[in-house]
Amino acid sequence: MSEPALHPSSYRDPAGFVFQVEGIYYRQVNQSYAADYSLLMSSGLYDTLAGKGLLITHQELPDGPVLPAHATQRYKTLLPAQLGTISYPYEWSFGQLRDAALHTLEVLNISLRHDMILKDATPFNIQFVQGKPVLIDTLSFEKYDPALPWVAYRQFCECFLFPLYLEHYCGIEQRKFQTAWPDGISARLTARLLPWKSRLNAGALLHVHLPNSVRSGGKERKTTFSRQKLLHILQHLEGIIRKLKANVASHPTWNDYYNRTILSQDYLHEKEKLFRQYVDGIAFRTALDIGTNDGFFARILSERKEASILAIDADATCIHRLYTIVREKNIQNVLPLCIDLLLPSPAIGLRNKERASFHDRVHPELVVALAVLHHLVLSSNIPLHDIAGYMAALTIRLLVIEFVPLEDPKAQELIRNRDSHHPYDTHSFERHFLEYFSIEKKSGVPGTKRVLYLMRKKTPIP
Amino acid sequence: MIGKLLLYIDPGSGSYLIQVIIAAVLGAAFFFKNLWWKFRSLFTRKKPPSQQNDNKNV
Repeated sequence: MSEPALHPSSYRDPAGFVFQVEGIYYRQVNQSYAADYSLLMSSGLYDTLAGKGLLITHQELPDGPVLPAHATQRYKTLLPAQLGTISYPYEWSFGQLRDAALHTLEVLNISLRHDMILKDATPFNIQFVQGKPVLIDTLSFEKYDPALPWVAYRQFCECFLFPLYLEHYCGIEQRKFQTAWPDGISARLTARLLPWKSRLNAGALLHVHLPNSVRSGGKERKTTFSRQKLLHILQHLEGIIRKLKANVASHPTWNDYYNRTILSQDYLHEKEKLFRQYVDGIAFRTALDIGTNDGFFARILSERKEASILAIDADATCIHRLYTIVREKNIQNVLPLCIDLLLPSPAIGLRNKERASFHDRVHPELVVALAVLHHLVLSSNIPLHDIAGYMAALTIRLLVIEFVPLEDPKAQELIRNRDSHHPYDTHSFERHFLEYFSIEKKSGVPGTKRVLYLMRKKTPIP
Repeated sequence: MIGKLLLYIDPGSGSYLIQVIIAAVLGAAFFFKNLWWKFRSLFTRKKPPSQQNDNKNV
């Protein structure tokens, strides 16, 4: 039984905190936030937002658990809806950050109708639940004072708008900026990185270059403001963000991988048939598709409505495209994320505990690795036995993996200018993987020399 | 006024002033845009976008 524990990232806001007891997450609302929490619930704002699926739902637990050290501050204990895999903005594609930004503005607009406002605006408060962004911080609201501008305006710009502008104008993936500056990138640096032509854009001029040129030391001066003025700013921000585009042309692309290459539609069709045979016979609730590309196989997995599918690729363009597809087709159980297996998200923040590493968050029952292995061995020089051990650590039970032999044209492309350092053949592959897995199914993909395996992890691992 | 508030995030030096300036610029822009649409609507049947979207605003 695990000890009750404060969530390591839940220390900033004096309004309350998230804690965990026996694997269940709870939220304490502190006495200092009682008035705002009551307004959230009594104004109808909570019902409106929760009803539209924009805010995480919760139940109040009069006899809920309490952390002894914080008992005197307690006003309420809430049981929020429990979330699946948590993702972070440095794992999102452009489209995901854009939708998270628009979501924040929508919540803010609705809040203003109930005389409340968002007191913070960080993408860490947004999670993708059933394919859509949801605000997960119930304590982000406070009573609205029309005489004041938006307290979280700068945070919104630094965490949402500026990374989007940088990808739009410079073609650098927004997630790279989120990695380097998880608390937001300053107007000063953004202004220096944006091209000169951005000054001709009214949005960039007002929200990036103007703040960069206005320096006001010390305390804020007294200002006069109004609800209409704030609405003008929010309407402007929304208009800007809707027009921004992912700079996909500048990315190395895996788009149309199956269409462009020797890998014909026949190959894809045969592989799909085999894949369906393999997965139809197994039970899983969580799956991880590595190197998902356009998510073709992740979408096949998503036909299991009870399963949650994580679809990862190092290429942000692929993930942006897959995210667009899952939103358009309303596929609710696929979460696309930009993850490079050679550079997975580390644990960051205070004591390296605020934001967990990718591998600490992801424990799938099924791992799917199609046309990935040859890249890991031939391009990244990872020995087969290391990959076998890694796959065994990654999956709880099952693995569907494709072996692309050395004579395959795609493998030949990878060693065009060099030799492979490590043994890479079917025999070595099976020998190393059999240390950790048993082979349940094995079939050649017709028309190629590629082989598809269904493996089950041995327990206990030797 | 603002110094007395208990804020848990820093609104940012000058952030309020910037919002005042931006709001003034946008206010003027919306004013002239509406004026232009009203002028146009004298000759066409199309309503200004502000009237079309009024129900979306607070």
